[in-house]
Amino acid sequence: MVDQTPSAGTRGRSAVAPILLAASLLCLIVSTRSLEGVPESLGLSILGFFQRGFSDVGEFVSDTFASISELRRLRENYDELSAKLERYTNMERGLADLREENNRLKEQLGFSQDIAYQRIAARIVAKDPENLYSTITIDKGFGDGIRKNMPVIAFQDGIEGLVGRIVEVGAGTSKIVPIYDSMSFVASRLAGGSRTEGLVGGQGSPEYPLLMRFVKKQAKDEIQFGDLVATTGYESVYPSDVAVGRVKKVRVLDYQTSIDIELDPVLDFSRIEYVFVVKPPVADEGDSR
Amino acid sequence: MIRSVVLSTMLLVACALAQSAWFGGIAVLGVTPDLGLIVLIWLSYMNGLVAGPISGFLSGFAEDFLSASPLGFHAFIKTAVAAAASLLHGSFYIDKLLLPVILGFAGTIAKALAAGALFLLFGSKVHAYSLVERTIWIEAAYNGLLAPLAFLLLGPLRRLLATERRRG
Repeated sequence: MVDQTPSAGTRGRSAVAPILLAASLLCLIVSTRSLEGVPESLGLSILGFFQRGFSDVGEFVSDTFASISELRRLRENYDELSAKLERYTNMERGLADLREENNRLKEQLGFSQDIAYQRIAARIVAKDPENLYSTITIDKGFGDGIRKNMPVIAFQDGIEGLVGRIVEVGAGTSKIVPIYDSMSFVASRLAGGSRTEGLVGGQGSPEYPLLMRFVKKQAKDEIQFGDLVATTGYESVYPSDVAVGRVKKVRVLDYQTSIDIELDPVLDFSRIEYVFVVKPPVADEGDSR
Repeated sequence: MIRSVVLSTMLLVACALAQSAWFGGIAVLGVTPDLGLIVLIWLSYMNGLVAGPISGFLSGFAEDFLSASPLGFHAFIKTAVAAAASLLHGSFYIDKLLLPVILGFAGTIAKALAAGALFLLFGSKVHAYSLVERTIWIEAAYNGLLAPLAFLLLGPLRRLLATERRRG
């Protein structure tokens, strides 16, 4: 006689997936209700260590290959540069005189080289492993003075542009949510004559334009293609007047009281390697890890 | 089985780390392939209803730490995809090309559906794919194309990763 009822072992095996799915849902329920973020921070600290290791290995391999071709090119350049060196040595004396004169003129004009805010330089070591989220991971963490919600900027082609803000801090790495993430919102205004304000949000990928919403309809005639949009700094985590994007297209819908503006980010996110995390003024600094 | 689960989970976490650190360079229109998903499908197909989902759950959990997603998001998705793939365990023979392509493509769609289910439950607190946008279709095609190569490379690791010996 054959017993056709499922054995306890079979039932047990079938129950594994539902149990794990339930455990996942439980985690989601807890984490979406804004638990303190401690488990995430702890996990990031541990896995961030390995993530940096992977990044370093990748960099080492690519650097090694690059070095081989670089070596050949350097040999050619060496001869060329030797010839140039003699010429530049003669120019050096003249340059020193010019530099001295330049410093004197700067002093007279009251030129200030003070930096508006303190920054922590960091290297991008990884991005989100999946396409649904758009996290950027940097190689600086809590020990380097990074705190949650600090704004992040970068320089590219001579422009200071907004990258995003810190959302999670680990011991040696931190996660940034970039401005093109669909959960990112930045209070911004047109930097031109109109100074019209709006809220810039992302559409989930650097391939899609940023969207500036809630812009007054009256401002539509003053907006020009290519106008710069910068942060307002009002009650915001972001400092003021940091470039966000340039006007690409204006969407005017009759039934809406405001207009939407599509923006091209000022930064090419695929080329950014280094960023600067902006520290808040000392008086306002609060530990919000 | 414990050894297989541990090794599988380590391999999947390594895939997630590689994806986050290296795969930016092979993105197509900003979309990167999900190597971890392909490996998970292979493992689940090979190992059935227990080892696959456990590895999926643990590696998904690790991925949640690397991502901005809420804790449990990737754990749920990877467990669901692993459970679906493990239902096919031993149903048919995996050839070298066609079935891996189908599994890679279908697995990505299953991942999108699992994310969609979470979006229905949790709303804007989680992200979901939009089926009318190109991201999901590029990723599905990319995973489909990558799957035959990944399955081929996983073949020699079968002794380490599979919970059962090949029969017949």
